Amino acid sequence: MILDSHRITTEPYYCAAGNEIALFAAAYAARMPMMLKGPTGCGKTRFIEYMAWRLGKPLITVACHEDMTASDLVGRFLLDANGTVWHDGPLTRAVRHGAICYLDEIVEARQDTTVVIHPLADDRRVLPLEKTGELITAHPDFQLVISYNPGYQSVLKDLKESTKQRFAAMQFLYPDRALETAIVAHEAGIAEEDARRLVLIGEAARHLKGHGLDEGASTRMLIHAGQLIARGVALAAACQVALILPITDDPDLRDALTATVDACLR
Amino acid sequence: MLFARLERRLGGFVTALWDTNPRLQSMPVPALAPPGRVSFGHGVVRVPERFRGFAPAQATLLYHAAIAHAGAHIRFTEARFTQGSLKPLQVALISLIEDARVEHLAMRRYPGLRRLFLPFHVASPGSGGMAPALFARLARALIDPDYIDGDAWVEKGRALFLAAADDWASPAVSRSIGGLLGNDLGQMRVSFNAKTYVVEPAYRDDNAGIWIATEPPPPDADSETWLEAAKITPAETEPPRGPPDEADNQPANAARPAATTEDGSLPIASYPEWDHLIRQARPHWATIRAYPARAGRQEAIDEIIAAHAPLAHRLAALIEHARVSRPRRLRRQAEGETLDLDASIEAAIDLRAGLSPDPRIHSRMERRHRDLATLVLLDVSHSTNDRLPGSATSVLALERAAAALLGDAMAGLGDRFAMGAFCSNGRHDVRYSAIKGFDGAFDGAAKRRLAGLAGSLSTRLGAALRHAGRELGQQAAYRRLLLVISDGEPSDIDVGDRRYLVEDARHAVQELSLRGIDVFCVGLDAGGDGYFGRIFGRHRIALIDRIERLPERLPMIYLRLTS
Repeated sequence: MILDSHRITTEPYYCAAGNEIALFAAAYAARMPMMLKGPTGCGKTRFIEYMAWRLGKPLITVACHEDMTASDLVGRFLLDANGTVWHDGPLTRAVRHGAICYLDEIVEARQDTTVVIHPLADDRRVLPLEKTGELITAHPDFQLVISYNPGYQSVLKDLKESTKQRFAAMQFLYPDRALETAIVAHEAGIAEEDARRLVLIGEAARHLKGHGLDEGASTRMLIHAGQLIARGVALAAACQVALILPITDDPDLRDALTATVDACLR
Repeated sequence: MLFARLERRLGGFVTALWDTNPRLQSMPVPALAPPGRVSFGHGVVRVPERFRGFAPAQATLLYHAAIAHAGAHIRFTEARFTQGSLKPLQVALISLIEDARVEHLAMRRYPGLRRLFLPFHVASPGSGGMAPALFARLARALIDPDYIDGDAWVEKGRALFLAAADDWASPAVSRSIGGLLGNDLGQMRVSFNAKTYVVEPAYRDDNAGIWIATEPPPPDADSETWLEAAKITPAETEPPRGPPDEADNQPANAARPAATTEDGSLPIASYPEWDHLIRQARPHWATIRAYPARAGRQEAIDEIIAAHAPLAHRLAALIEHARVSRPRRLRRQAEGETLDLDASIEAAIDLRAGLSPDPRIHSRMERRHRDLATLVLLDVSHSTNDRLPGSATSVLALERAAAALLGDAMAGLGDRFAMGAFCSNGRHDVRYSAIKGFDGAFDGAAKRRLAGLAGSLSTRLGAALRHAGRELGQQAAYRRLLLVISDGEPSDIDVGDRRYLVEDARHAVQELSLRGIDVFCVGLDAGGDGYFGRIFGRHRIALIDRIERLPERLPMIYLRLTS
């Protein structure tokens, strides 16, 4: 099969925080376009990987960026020895062969790019290829999923209403304390006690969101710190490297976070 | 000063620990006064600007301990104690037990705080048997498990406190144990002088924040600023011509007859007004008079900006994004200095594939400037004195806060802008006060004028729009934006027909659009869809349903309009 490399063969680790698995499964059954909202590093990408594995469908991920054009999604003509050949883009491949297409950080792409997904995201489920004149009807397995992080930047960058309203949405937040402890302990391979302390530090750093930090410390960051601890780094040093230095450039805030980490240590 | 250097760090520390964001304020410590202690209450933590007798490294830790302790009170002392018939000795002891209680709760969550607090507990059995020494020894016994004190009273206090460990969640523990220990001390005839008593160790607060004060608390910050701003200080001399009339410096000039206002101001322009019944403009119908803006306190504006510090910070980040004068490569241009390689290849491919190629195959560099002039027009009619339901904040105070933050943001962006306020008292007296001109800076004088705004009279919007438009029209800019902030339907004392001023304002907006001036209205009346829409057009209004969010929304609206 053409999409075999996009199949997820081993079960990704995912801890459900609520009924999101059942919800997503129901949405997939209806092939409803889905929007995953939530702060960075809280598990959106892991969730979609897990769901793709669970549903047994290939997953094509596209990381969106400012310079992305519609042809980066849809495809383009390329030259070969005999003339020109059409080359499908990731979205077209997912539509043609039946995959879950995950557009990560969709707001980063320009608004005129995102409108190419409109005919796919309503009941038409078709993708017109302007260059070749082809009209592809989506494979029955195809589903469109986007992630969207409505941060403070959303004033300048936001999805069009017409894009937003084509999607059903699920909200992701940082997991609660007990769950996050279990996740950090499992993913980093550290003792529960250390994980608990890291989660405490993470919660404290999240209090600073809006008071100097644009985003709180993500679960991903805590796992990074945990992975360093698992390799013998002291907790304070691991937090410094994996958490405090990446999250802010402000020396005062860095000192405040260092003092906070210190307060969390026994 | 050490505290000034540490201030932001300490603020971040207390927010991270306790999810509370009090304002830190430095408190002077006179040379001969007793040593200062932290004091908190009403969202402010006052911190002594120095702790005498501590080396800088130690003092840094002391500040951290002090702020962590105050934060623990804010978090765990949920309700303040009432003094009732308690004696000062009992008050001091209950406070001491309460200090230990919140510290233990804090250390349960953040065990490292023990390392921060303990070094400052230096009392020992040798400190003596007077009340302050006994207190310090008890304080140490309650938090330091390794400390041994032979005194029966101190040990009794420790035993009582530790026995209640399961009930620490409730402040009632402090009250009962403190009361008991106070009685004992009374029977021991230990004398206590509340006047000279200073809480030890140095990081603990003066406990004023955990007792209900006998004098009434100050009103909340917003209303305070509002009152301060409404205080009239002598008018500034700008605009220069004509001394401001004394009568004009009285706040309640709404009731004065029009005739006496004549000499306080300068007629500077007259404008036609559109009469929708005769479908014609009445020439020279409304007279604009320049009123010198009254000066308020500049600090009022600085305080507003400080009080919205998180928002100001977010705005600063947004502004960094919006500042677009760095060079940008424009691709797929019809003409330019260089070929756009991607576009050229695609065009060549299209040619071979037999498709018609896109002719835009050039690229060029461009430096985009924000070529923009904005005039912010504030409605300060009498209705802006209305308080929001369930709050002491007036609409005008919010307008002022929003304008202050917006002004700060625009100054940060380097955009050219002016600010003016208007109200009216009949067609012969449409009052216009310049707060900031296009040439001036958003400095102390402009802020004082903004702080001095007071709401009075009516809203003759059309004339004000025409006048603001004329000022804006003199600016040479690619884009000219007139941003109106209004709280209600246009009205005036000499107009009976409700539609008349609405239609006139609509006409004024259309005239301005013809001259290339964009008019956008931020309406503070959620039900104002009808008339605001009629005047400005449905896509040129933003109605704020929760007015208290105006300071947050206005700069965002501006950034969105101009990005």
